[in-house]
Amino acid sequence: MTLATDSSAAEIAPPRGAAIYFDGTCSARNDVEVEAGTAGLHIFGADRRLLDEWLYAELRRQASPDGVLRLGRSGETLLARLEVRDPAFAAAIEDRAVTLDRGGAAERRLRRKVVILSLAAVVSLMVTAIIGVPVIATRLTPLVPISVEQKLGSAVEKQIRSTLDSKNLGAAFSCGSGASGAAGQAALDKLVGKLKAAAALPYPLRVEVVRRTEFNAFALPGGHIYAFQGLIDRAESPDEVAGVLAHEMGHVAHRDGTRTVLQAAGLSFLFGMMLGDFVGGGAVVIAAKTVLRSSYSRRVEAAADAYSVAVMRRAGGDPRALATILARVTANKDEGIKIFEDHPDTKDRVAAINAMAPAGATVPLLGAADWAALKQICAPSPAAATAPPGTATTIGTTAVSGTTSGKASASEPEPAGGTNAGGGQK
Amino acid sequence: MATAAVFPSPIAAAGTVRFLGDEAAYWRLRIKGAALVVVTLGIYRFWLATDVRRFLWSNTEISGDTLEYNGLATELLVGFLFAIAILVPLYMALALVALELDMVALKPVLTGFALVALLGEYALYRARRYRLTRTVFRGLRFDQHGSPWRYAIYAIVCWAIVIVTLGLAYPWTQAFLERFKMRNTSYGDLQGRFEGSGLSLFLRGLPLWLLIVGPIVVALGVLSAKIDWDTLSRLIDKGDDAETGRMIGQMLAPGIGVSVAALAASFFALLLLYPLFQAVKLRWWISGLRFGDIAVTSRLRVGQVYRVYLRLILYLFLLGLLAGMMGGMTVFAVVGIVRLAHNATLTQVAAGVISVLLYVVMMLGSSTIYQVIVAAGLWRLGAETAALSGEAALDGVRATGSASSALGEGLVDALGVGGI
Repeated sequence: MTLATDSSAAEIAPPRGAAIYFDGTCSARNDVEVEAGTAGLHIFGADRRLLDEWLYAELRRQASPDGVLRLGRSGETLLARLEVRDPAFAAAIEDRAVTLDRGGAAERRLRRKVVILSLAAVVSLMVTAIIGVPVIATRLTPLVPISVEQKLGSAVEKQIRSTLDSKNLGAAFSCGSGASGAAGQAALDKLVGKLKAAAALPYPLRVEVVRRTEFNAFALPGGHIYAFQGLIDRAESPDEVAGVLAHEMGHVAHRDGTRTVLQAAGLSFLFGMMLGDFVGGGAVVIAAKTVLRSSYSRRVEAAADAYSVAVMRRAGGDPRALATILARVTANKDEGIKIFEDHPDTKDRVAAINAMAPAGATVPLLGAADWAALKQICAPSPAAATAPPGTATTIGTTAVSGTTSGKASASEPEPAGGTNAGGGQK
Repeated sequence: MATAAVFPSPIAAAGTVRFLGDEAAYWRLRIKGAALVVVTLGIYRFWLATDVRRFLWSNTEISGDTLEYNGLATELLVGFLFAIAILVPLYMALALVALELDMVALKPVLTGFALVALLGEYALYRARRYRLTRTVFRGLRFDQHGSPWRYAIYAIVCWAIVIVTLGLAYPWTQAFLERFKMRNTSYGDLQGRFEGSGLSLFLRGLPLWLLIVGPIVVALGVLSAKIDWDTLSRLIDKGDDAETGRMIGQMLAPGIGVSVAALAASFFALLLLYPLFQAVKLRWWISGLRFGDIAVTSRLRVGQVYRVYLRLILYLFLLGLLAGMMGGMTVFAVVGIVRLAHNATLTQVAAGVISVLLYVVMMLGSSTIYQVIVAAGLWRLGAETAALSGEAALDGVRATGSASSALGEGLVDALGVGGI
């Protein structure tokens, strides 16, 4: 049918109105008169000549300022436009062309769909992060060669050393050198030797005591364990030190560091790449990661505690010593925010360890002389005099008062996530 | 919205540029969009960006006709997914190389940084092409050609020069890059070019540079005069790092006051002069734009830009007040809960959720305020103070070009180097 002659049955004349027409090949503005026929729009030029005919079905609404109906045609490579500024005539066209989505209902439906689908995607990603990422990381961890793990460890180590080494204690970062340090180191080696024999780890282990006043120890991927001076200072028996070290060896044996790195990479991918790319989104992402990591780490800590109990029993030490020192350090702390007073996590851990480990008298793993030497491993340390544990840095406060990895990771810069990569927060 | 604004008289509008947008409508668009972006953890940003462009383009009227943005949010989403597909293997390769070479140290980090910067500039150029080919005016689209890689290399070299010259070369590098961009820009068969000269921007910017960078240079000079280089080089030869550090500290101690004062002066100069810099640059840029016989001139006044930034400060202050009050009330509520529940874990979670929420509100709030007041405000100012000459050429432009892919936009988004 010809659009121009559809007035056959129409008693009422089709609505007409003024419009501006751009033909899509030239930028010239054409003042036109448009007739809204039964099947489409007829566009007449100034000389009443028919310029163009647009079917209603091919009309598309284009972005325009308020009060202007801007029309284009679908499936055209040329961008011909018709602009109607008379509201009554624009309404008449909208009445006839369903594709124009009068009032924007279809667009709103589409937007609602986008939001709902996005929410579904967010939920699915959350589930993946909570369930999928740990499972995949656990499956992948055994596939990572030890050599790669050691490389990873030494890479993380450099960063951690420079972060932790406060350089203002007036002495080397590592303890165990110098006159009294050498004896202490010998005692430490003896202690570690006993634990190694009991644990039979498949790869080399290195234990180092460093000058930090906080109560903490951690293990890096590849089997390097750091014990803080604050741990040695607060321990009241060699078995307490051994219990903590055995716990860290548990992290090494379970390859928790590597798994944590894999998990962190997975989470970074899920949250960093796919989502959260908006201002302020970083905080949401960090919060989500922290919560998830601490939920992973609770399980990991429990496993390392069990490992410590088993190794200590095999070595002939007191398997409950880890619980003893954890409970004492938590109870003794007198700093920190009152809101975070009690530590259900530590209490649970202590209870769990005591439930696993049989009570009973054991012989300390080091003799009195060796133990005294170990206590002096950081001996010429002015730190002990000038910086009592209570006045330690923020990390220190957190490390002493908070026993969940979640809090510790919140207080440390993201790159040093390797500390958590060690998973070995006490 | 004023009805007068939508019935412009074509004769009065010849050669003039206007912005018809209603700020209240833009506030609504931005606030609603920000809320949806949070709820969808960012996925909605493609739709928000599209709405924003539709608004800004549609309300910019040149010589009686408004621009039209006809890009789609789904195109941005697809471009983003493409970018992810390219970036993920790249990031993984970088991580593997770093691990394999046993260097988390400087070199791979720098190489990676340079690569990402190059990719970022590449993406910016392609994103510009996407936006131009989605810009319709009088039934014709804009277009951009030119190799994005070549642009990226130029841009990186330019940035390096700017850094080496402490910013003095900035005007010339900007003019150079802008010439490259505009030379490759066209509206239909109307060829674009850029005629702003680096020298004129330099002359206008030099006083600003002297006031901002000058104090730092003076402080550096004063400090280096205090250092006894002979002693220092002997100490460095000895390799005693601690002693060297202590010596440097001792030598510099008397100059600390000077350098702090210089830094403070420089910082305040930067704060005070930033709007002036923006005004100078925007006016220079707009006045340099050419399309065939059409030339643009800008009558932007510095005071107008200062007013924009003063409004920004006022609104940010109000937001801070609001967030402070909200924070106070929530802390009060949390303390109440703690007293009741005696549950540390619950308290921690509650405190964490509240602080993250407050942070997000603050960040998104200030970003929204910035977008409405500064970004859109400068857009409006730039448009309203611009005038075309030779606009008769606008009536006889012929169509060329076709739409381009949104990959650049996706990369821009994934790399976080975006603009409007």
